[in-house]
Amino acid sequence: MTTATVKASTQGPAVAITIIGEIDLENAEAVEEQLSGAIDNQATSVTIDLADLTYLDSAGLRLMFALAARLEVLQIDLTVQAPPRSPARRVLELSGFANAAAIEG
Amino acid sequence: MVSALRSVLRVTVPSTTDEDRLRRIEFVTDSALAHLDVKDLLDELLDRVRSLLGVDTAAVLLFDASATHLVATAARGIEEEVRQGVRIPLGQGFAGRIAAERRPVIIEQVDHSNVLNPILREKAIRSLLGVPLVIEGTVLGVLHVGTLTPRRFTEADTHLLQLVADRVALVTRTHQSDVDRAAAEALQHSLMPGTLPQIAGLELTARYVPGQAGGLGGDWYDVFTLPSGRVGVVMGDVVGRGFQAAVVMGRLRSALRAFAREEDDPAEVLERLDGNVQHFEDNVMATVLYAVFEPSLDQVMLTVAGHLPPVLAVPGDAGRLLQLPVDLPVGVSVGPPRRTTVIDLPPGSLLFLYTDGLVERRGRSLDEGLDRLCGAVRAVDIETTCTTVMSRMVGAEPVADDVAVLVAHRAEASEAAPLYLVLPAVLRSLAEVRSALRRWLASVGATPDDVTDILVAVGEACSNVVEHAYGPGGGNLMLHAERGEDQVTVTVWDNGRWRSARGENRGRGTTLMQQCSDAVDVTAGPHGTTVRMQRHLSGETR
Repeated sequence: MTTATVKASTQGPAVAITIIGEIDLENAEAVEEQLSGAIDNQATSVTIDLADLTYLDSAGLRLMFALAARLEVLQIDLTVQAPPRSPARRVLELSGFANAAAIEG
Repeated sequence: MVSALRSVLRVTVPSTTDEDRLRRIEFVTDSALAHLDVKDLLDELLDRVRSLLGVDTAAVLLFDASATHLVATAARGIEEEVRQGVRIPLGQGFAGRIAAERRPVIIEQVDHSNVLNPILREKAIRSLLGVPLVIEGTVLGVLHVGTLTPRRFTEADTHLLQLVADRVALVTRTHQSDVDRAAAEALQHSLMPGTLPQIAGLELTARYVPGQAGGLGGDWYDVFTLPSGRVGVVMGDVVGRGFQAAVVMGRLRSALRAFAREEDDPAEVLERLDGNVQHFEDNVMATVLYAVFEPSLDQVMLTVAGHLPPVLAVPGDAGRLLQLPVDLPVGVSVGPPRRTTVIDLPPGSLLFLYTDGLVERRGRSLDEGLDRLCGAVRAVDIETTCTTVMSRMVGAEPVADDVAVLVAHRAEASEAAPLYLVLPAVLRSLAEVRSALRRWLASVGATPDDVTDILVAVGEACSNVVEHAYGPGGGNLMLHAERGEDQVTVTVWDNGRWRSARGENRGRGTTLMQQCSDAVDVTAGPHGTTVRMQRHLSGETR
């Protein structure tokens, strides 16, 4: 079974989210729902930390792209943290996610 | 009507002579009753008691598991007792008094002061006679009879009822221990992994031998793979015997598995298991050894909760006991933090786990047993090791305690065999593929960067099989991975017929598969699709 833990903390208009575990086709939808639930309408910026995400595939990318597109419409800044050589960084770079949101190390 | 019936019965019950007494005894010890199951047998005995003594009601109450209450188990003429699940506290009321005082009690005139059970009063029972069910000095319950008209029970009546009670007690005890043993066996059987997981590069085998002392104990072993690609191995022993110990063992096993998925550090897993036991279990103690093999199998992390240390054998040497810090058993009390020790597991070496039943013998010191065990364990084939150890340690002597044994043998490095998996094409298989692939890739010397790319490429191919290959009937996902000179080739295939992708934002998977491989080759046919991916190995040392 694929599991990911989504932890979110809100400080004023800034939302900081950490995802630990793995994301694949099995749990991508569940993770997407948790992410949507963690970001309220008052937010102006969202940071998602993927440093401890040990697996991310195209199903996970799909939700990341969908989230980036939705936040852009809502004018909420999105920053994704994924250190160089981390599994998530590799997949985000290959997919050209840098065009959708900022990737930080 | 009832009294008319009774007077008829009176006629058929002649006065007490020796010959008559013998006939009565035969009536309740009749061997023809032996084939009946317990419920039918109790009912039949109660019917015979009713006709023998000329009474209207007869009931058996047995202690519940807590031994503080009597529960109606069989009844004739007063079936409500069983149907309503009547419970009588020990020492109270008519039945409670008999059990507490362990002697027959006669009530000639039933009233509110001497009978607790409303059913006895509602049935308008006038007189009661009850005797304890005693076997080997232990009270199992109560047998009582009642009449709807006043009756003066005689000593002969009491004597006869006691005779029946002894028969009932014997039947009940035999049945209880049969049930207990069967249930413990069924439980043990369902909880012990029937087949151990197949793990590339790690051979596993186990033995479980129930002790002669009667009833199974709470020994258990477990092997499971973790999402990280690590492999968890458990050897544990719940103090106690029989069904209760087996039930507790089952709970501990489940809790440990749950914590193992959440925590990487074995000491932390047992710490949480301990907290769980102390909070939820009453008076439970268990020794546990928990070992976690790294995906590469190069190292093992171990933590010991009051358990005997495992034996490690490296190729060419005799086994030696691992010198590990031993922490408190689980369920005892809050102690100092638990510790994890990391040991190296060179290729070809063998780890031997066991419970104390293997080495503890009357008239022999524990050290002698451990020495003998170390002498018997060699880094050779697992079945040979197991057979040798069991023959030298157990031989033909009956062993009082249970013996559980688990052997893990790491393959020689040169044996890095190809990985072959067949899994149901369902979502949950995706994590299993990654877990197996992480272990296999570590064993063939892939770097973390290699692992990231290969996992993604293979993961995409597998997701496609799960999503597109089969209809609702389902099917299998096959995977084969082999190492070449400086590259890895992974083939993923199915026996289905792909349908085109549905939904939006898809199609990224195929691109990712290509980006993460050096070459991808897809062959689609009416009988299945095969995806073959090649990826170089970076060649750096890990």
